[in-house]
Amino acid sequence: MTADRAPRPGRRIEVDEESVRKSLAGLVLTIVELLRQLMERQALRRVEQGGISDEQVEKLGLTLMALEQNMAELREHFGLTEDDLNLDLGPLGPLLPRD
Amino acid sequence: MTDSLATWLYAVMAVPEDSTPPPGLTGVADEPVRLVEQAGLAAVVGSVPLEEFDEDALRGHLEDLEWLERTARAHHRVINGAARQGQVIPLRFATLYHDDDRVRAMLQERREDFTATLRRVADRTEWGVKAYVDPRSFLPDPDEPAGGEDSPGTAYLLRRRAQRQDQETAHLRATERAEEIHASLAALAVATAAHPPQDTALAAYEGWMVLNNSYLVPDGLTEEFTALVTTLGERYPAVTLEVSGPWPPYSFTAPPKREAQEGQEGQAGEAGEARPEEAPS
Repeated sequence: MTADRAPRPGRRIEVDEESVRKSLAGLVLTIVELLRQLMERQALRRVEQGGISDEQVEKLGLTLMALEQNMAELREHFGLTEDDLNLDLGPLGPLLPRD
Repeated sequence: MTDSLATWLYAVMAVPEDSTPPPGLTGVADEPVRLVEQAGLAAVVGSVPLEEFDEDALRGHLEDLEWLERTARAHHRVINGAARQGQVIPLRFATLYHDDDRVRAMLQERREDFTATLRRVADRTEWGVKAYVDPRSFLPDPDEPAGGEDSPGTAYLLRRRAQRQDQETAHLRATERAEEIHASLAALAVATAAHPPQDTALAAYEGWMVLNNSYLVPDGLTEEFTALVTTLGERYPAVTLEVSGPWPPYSFTAPPKREAQEGQEGQAGEAGEARPEEAPS
């Protein structure tokens, strides 16, 4: 809950196509980023547990690396920073870990 | 009954010697501050218009950070003013009673609690201590990069795993420092209270807040306590310590939940903690 997010009674909704596009992109990318981080964590767990071949590990790593690169490109395309891709869930804290 | 006014409570204290309210103080609605006395206790109160302070109005206002800041500051200002006349029990923000008679009834009913609490905090002062760390200064030394030209995917995963582990290690180390600092400070205090770290969005700090505690310190040990904070800051250069106070004993006078809810009318539900914080810059 920060000042600029607090609802103001009577404030008109600004229909600015560019900002709507950016907000929507931000929201979608936030979800994608959440999934990417979850997948990465799951992958690390599987590698630690063993039981998958070196070849599979390599493939997993390459996929995740490519995903991270794609995310960076998309962020840049929409002019968003890493911090923009996060939701404040109030008492639950941020959706993505801040580090 | 006064149709359009309610009584806003700021603090409870022993009746001051001259039985007058803190001079020149105005409250959350710019109203003059009065005392309501009963059973040797005085409630520091003001009459506020219901129009702005009834339950519905308050609920709306609590979303409005500017209103909240202004009003919380006024609330705190009155408590501080009253504290100059004697030890106070600060009351929660938005503690409202129907009229003065209800306040007197409440003082009468809870006089033993209040008296015991006042005895407990007599000649003691609350100090806040926060500790921040820059996570980078707690990171372990970087390991040798694990090759990886022929298996970039594996190298990537290993790198990510190392980063994660380093973060955990840094957090653990910083928390250990904070615990050491807390233990030293607690030795000078008669009571301590831990608060959750502040929201970065509101408090505008960098890094991690690893300590946000309050200490109830005997007035005779004030200098020793603040000097200890300085000493600890020098002993742990990677930790930034921040001391605030003196505060009225916000963190050590909270009534048990049950009593806080009984007999109060028009209270604005959860109005958040009464303890004010420095302005979010």
